[in-house]
Amino acid sequence: MSILRIVNAFNRSLVPHQRTVATSAVLGVKQIEVQKQDDTVVIQAVTSESPRQALLLKEACQPKFCPECSLGLDVKHTDVLILSQYVRNDGCMLPRRITGLCKRQQKKMGTLVTMAQKAGLMPNLGPSSSKKDPKQRFGWRKYNKYYYESSIKY
Amino acid sequence: MSILKRTQQWATFARTWHIYDCTWQNPFDSAKVVKNHLMGLHKPIYHPMNDCGDHVVLINTGEIALPGDEWIKRVYFHHTGYPGGASWTLAWQLHEKDPTMVMKKAVYAAMKGNLQRRHTMQRLHLFPDDKVPEEILGNVTSQIKQTRVVPKRLDHIDKETLENFPAIMDYPKDYVLR
Repeated sequence: MSILRIVNAFNRSLVPHQRTVATSAVLGVKQIEVQKQDDTVVIQAVTSESPRQALLLKEACQPKFCPECSLGLDVKHTDVLILSQYVRNDGCMLPRRITGLCKRQQKKMGTLVTMAQKAGLMPNLGPSSSKKDPKQRFGWRKYNKYYYESSIKY
Repeated sequence: MSILKRTQQWATFARTWHIYDCTWQNPFDSAKVVKNHLMGLHKPIYHPMNDCGDHVVLINTGEIALPGDEWIKRVYFHHTGYPGGASWTLAWQLHEKDPTMVMKKAVYAAMKGNLQRRHTMQRLHLFPDDKVPEEILGNVTSQIKQTRVVPKRLDHIDKETLENFPAIMDYPKDYVLR
């Protein structure tokens, strides 16, 4: 496993970086840490290893990867373990330059994420003001609902 | 009639009790399955004049799921018989008043309207949650397969599965984690 990880990391280093030219300082940041020392607050940007690096699929290491185009996966709106990877902590869909999906897949994934959120399958990924329990929603929204993937037009 | 044949006769015509969990199930798809067991259509000895229907216990009817926005699109009509006595109730409003009603009406509507229907419905036992009286649960010997796979919520998936699930997307090098 560790050998595979090293090979994967080497493969990834060969892939050209998306932002080679930058007018401002290149960020190169993974995490912002806020530390309190006595009466001073230190805010520093710490470059750390991505938490997903070790689990990354070999096919996903390519610069362009779509679950449907590359692997032929038929993603449903109930596959929350896949959909949650394309979503921020506050439930927002990540933009295409980060997800690396093709245009059609990006739109489809966005719709699937919306379906999963409306069905209350990803209640822990949402804005802080959201009701974490789908049963607490207002009116008809508190009842279970599911969606047909065939209703996605593109 | 020999003892063996007599026992076979009893076993053939005895009423079986089935249980069906309505959690995340479409009531109208489920009704088609439940109806077969209620009327005895799944038995080789079935005949309309042959009273061979089974009992079906429906549990968790409050947890049924409807596709899309059907909770606000499906309307139940009732007329008191008096002028101006018509009323239209949305599915979610009916479900709020009685969590067993949508399921009950779905099974009732799935069967053909004849004199037998009311008697067949007497063999249907509905419960809004999983609290079933012991005397009913004690009769149950069979379970009907659900029509839909129950989806799992992300916050209900155990930590081990979450951490070991393969990643299909990595963050770019300049991504700021939040």
